[in-house]
Amino acid sequence: MNPNINDKDSRKIVDIIQSYAQKHSLWVLAYGTGCGAIEIPPTMTSRYDAERFGITGRPTPRMADVLLITGYLATKTLKRVIRSYEQMQSPKYVIGFGSCTINGGMYWDSYNTIKSLDHYLPVDVYINGCMPRPEAVISGFVKLQEMISNGTANGWEKYRDNLDLYRSQQKEVIKNWQMPDYNW
Amino acid sequence: MNDIKQELLAEQTFADQIQKTFKTAGVRVIRKRRIEVVMRADLIPPYLTHAKNQHNFEHLSHISCVDWLEEGHFELVYILWSYTMEMQLIVKCRIPRHTPQFTSIQNIWEHAGTYEREIHEMYGITFAGNDNLGDFLLEDWEGPPPMRRDFDTVKYSEENFKDRMDARQDAQNVRETITKRSGEDMPDFAKPYSLR
Repeated sequence: MNPNINDKDSRKIVDIIQSYAQKHSLWVLAYGTGCGAIEIPPTMTSRYDAERFGITGRPTPRMADVLLITGYLATKTLKRVIRSYEQMQSPKYVIGFGSCTINGGMYWDSYNTIKSLDHYLPVDVYINGCMPRPEAVISGFVKLQEMISNGTANGWEKYRDNLDLYRSQQKEVIKNWQMPDYNW
Repeated sequence: MNDIKQELLAEQTFADQIQKTFKTAGVRVIRKRRIEVVMRADLIPPYLTHAKNQHNFEHLSHISCVDWLEEGHFELVYILWSYTMEMQLIVKCRIPRHTPQFTSIQNIWEHAGTYEREIHEMYGITFAGNDNLGDFLLEDWEGPPPMRRDFDTVKYSEENFKDRMDARQDAQNVRETITKRSGEDMPDFAKPYSLR
């Protein structure tokens, strides 16, 4: 138990219990971009069995907690990803998967893929590698669980507070913005 | 030697037949079951109709495009397949690069329209007769056609997509930090080019 639990600045006991529950039920939106989605089936199935960490797939953004960006994002896909992310219920987390989300990876000079995902969505955890193995994926999820229990996985708060900044950066890339300003 | 001739006999007779009908065409047998025909651009729609109706080339596999930047040409490549003759026919023609216009063959093969849309998007060639040349794979694209060889993809990407480099707040040189920490000299290959 946290020894500073009675301090004023420390987190409330409700928060600790809540984060304990959250970190053991990370539901991932079953949405794959790029080539990384091919590493998800072995992660989920019996050999690596990510479900023992409470990680499982969900069909719609409304049910999901984690948005896993598995690879490169074309500007066309980024539009859909932003829509999906904004439809998710907070608290919500983004995991950047593979080197494409970090600096463009092997698509660094492509005319139609973004380089760094962090400019457009708040990324909580990066898993590097091209492709990361299922062990690396699980290690990334464990890192996210640690961050949730520390209370440092607050990318969604950052997004909410700096929505204008993120929106302006998104609109630099997506020229023809035919979407609602926020999908609550 | 005789065997090879025997093997290519069907191809050779067919090539001669094309040569006889279309005197300006350059016909070449590439290998067994593969024939290349180079045509004048205005002869392409009549020739493709002829090949489809007379020689049973009923399947259009693909339309491709090659950018000959130095020579100022776009080369259109039509790849046909005949199920009865079991033979692939590659029909090529060149159109000038400064006026990228050609005739659609959508009335011969319906699905040719899709290939033409792709070529229109990637190379900027307009096909007269195809009224569906809108956005296809790229969404909201405003730049020049990206598959043209004079399109600088690195420059476009640097101008439009932010890199992680300018997001790095501490601006530290990782190699310098590591060498300082360990008290070693930085090896030559790790130095920037200006200091070597």
